[in-house]
Amino acid sequence: MAQTTHGVGGVSFDASKRTWPNEINVLLALVLITLVFEVLNRMDGGSFLFNTRANVDAIFNEQRINIILLQVAITGIIALGVTQVIILGGIDLSSGSVVGATAMIAMSFAQTAVVNGNPNPKAIFGDWAMDLPVIVPIAVGLGCGLVAGFINGFLVAFTRIPPFIATLGMMVSARGVAKWWSNGNPISFPTESYASLSNGDLLGSLTFGLLSWPGQNPAVVFVLLAVLLHLVMVYTVYGKRCYAIGSNEDAARMSGINVARHKVLVYSIAGMLAAVAAILLTSKNLTAQAGMGVMYELDAIAMAVIGGVSLAGGRGSIVGTVIGALIFSVIISGFTSIRLDAYYQEMVKGAIIVGAVVLDQWRQRRRAARS
Amino acid sequence: MKKTLIVAGVASLLATTAMAQNIGVTMALFDDNFLTVLRNGMVAQAESRGINLQVEDAQNDVAKQLAQINNFIASGVDAIIVNPVDTSATQAMTDAAAAAGVPLVYVNRQPINLDTLPDNQAFVGSNEIESGTLAAFEGCKLLRAAGKSNGAGIYILMGELSNQAAVQRTKDFDDIIGIDMCNFISVIDRQTANWSRDQAQNLMTNWLSSGAEFDAVFANNDEMAIGAIQAMKAAGISMEDVVVTGVDATQDALVAMQAGDLDVTVFQDAAGQGSGALDAAVRLAAGESVQTTIYIPFQLVTPANVADFLARN
Repeated sequence: MAQTTHGVGGVSFDASKRTWPNEINVLLALVLITLVFEVLNRMDGGSFLFNTRANVDAIFNEQRINIILLQVAITGIIALGVTQVIILGGIDLSSGSVVGATAMIAMSFAQTAVVNGNPNPKAIFGDWAMDLPVIVPIAVGLGCGLVAGFINGFLVAFTRIPPFIATLGMMVSARGVAKWWSNGNPISFPTESYASLSNGDLLGSLTFGLLSWPGQNPAVVFVLLAVLLHLVMVYTVYGKRCYAIGSNEDAARMSGINVARHKVLVYSIAGMLAAVAAILLTSKNLTAQAGMGVMYELDAIAMAVIGGVSLAGGRGSIVGTVIGALIFSVIISGFTSIRLDAYYQEMVKGAIIVGAVVLDQWRQRRRAARS
Repeated sequence: MKKTLIVAGVASLLATTAMAQNIGVTMALFDDNFLTVLRNGMVAQAESRGINLQVEDAQNDVAKQLAQINNFIASGVDAIIVNPVDTSATQAMTDAAAAAGVPLVYVNRQPINLDTLPDNQAFVGSNEIESGTLAAFEGCKLLRAAGKSNGAGIYILMGELSNQAAVQRTKDFDDIIGIDMCNFISVIDRQTANWSRDQAQNLMTNWLSSGAEFDAVFANNDEMAIGAIQAMKAAGISMEDVVVTGVDATQDALVAMQAGDLDVTVFQDAAGQGSGALDAAVRLAAGESVQTTIYIPFQLVTPANVADFLARN
């Protein structure tokens, strides 16, 4: 692993100025919110996290814990890419649309020829594209994400237009591609191997049957990618460069970082992560639709922001985003568990997003005043 | 030289009156499965009749849709077909077309000013009350047939809360549950999954994790019904024991029905509405009069007649 320069300008370690890592606060918020739902459920005679069914022998309510991870896994994977882009000082509005376009294109190479004994009613291409090996749609999907991300990065790095505009353009265009690809028709009925990407038991195959978590592959992929990208962001030059460029782009350039190249790289990776999300989403739902992924970019950004990633760049972490995603999910599951009327859910969700950032800003100011 | 110009001019005049048919269409949004079938039905019909169709996507934006209508009027189309984004915002559209004397046909979504439409305007669609009623009543009958008439719990999956069809279908479900024959049904919970399969899948899993006993899932559309089915199958629930109803009769739903997973859906003739709207627009443009409201009926789809619908949507 390459070594980077630490300890600049004679700043020495001062134990009194040490503060909690930001993630601890976010984690506390997660625990607090979970606790609130646990109490509300208890008042109703149930439980949020613990098993209350007499016919099941378990401490925890396993289904609840599974869904909490599973229902944010796909937007969470996008958020992992968005986190890197935001730390870099950019923004990616295109990820939801890239999911839509990738879903349509990848799925059309994953179809099966015969459904219930009839020819596939949703066939996009002829027989040559039917029952292809699963690697084909995966490669095509990842390729789509890579192209979209590369274009984003290229526009941001070399035309110097603001990332907001560059990725806004991609957001509109990629959605156009998603609708044009099959004239808005859904693409359904994938091969079994493609369906098993999300619905199989990846953890089982990875651990040679030691562990098993069937049907939860998006969650497994999310966790694996989060661990991997956390290590990358903390321990590699790649990660250090993201933080350096996000904190002070000019300083980063003058210290010899190829800023443009690094931006292209980060946006490309974000595009690929959106593609991974699209593949898992279509595999999980056994269908691709042009409207898939609408608003996912905003959910992903919200997860990062709740997790303490600063939109100003240079600050935040993968761990924070993962906790942010879990907060998101606990809120969704919690509302359903207490049977809160659907109308109120969105109102409260919006308030929590804004509240998280207000709290974070206040904490930042206080920290700045102290040092 | 002059003569040839005049001849050419007359010829082109004749040609335009002979074809006469430039029709502008503004759809609420393109990336909706049902509206896509409707749109494609309209386009196919127009092609076979040699009609010039210009189809625009209003992207769920009321203002954009009104602008598109005004643009159609400005470019002198013979008739306009509108699939309204917001059914309560149709008065302005009616006024704009009426002021310019251009015939206008609303399709699929019932305009709020239906009772006061001028003579050269019409509505082609289905009577929305039928769909939810048909589905819920059949679901109620299935529950009775399964011997659950002494009490049954159901979940209701609702579409987008701002959408008229979602509100109406949910109300129809409630009305059916209110009648004597079906009042053994009680609703455990109702939530929105925004018409989406993925959201319905997550929501159903959340419901399952609460462990409450239930007998049926009534969904506002097929996509959500399929999402619920996928969640229940993942949790190891036998689809024999649960009644699942949807609306729309999409291809995916019909396949789910053939596989024995979905019990009830309702066919709304999207292509029929599209070609019906086009037909009404052509006739209004030719100066004929048509009925103000043209209903294309809903049809109940069950495993018994599912084969008839496989090639329809």
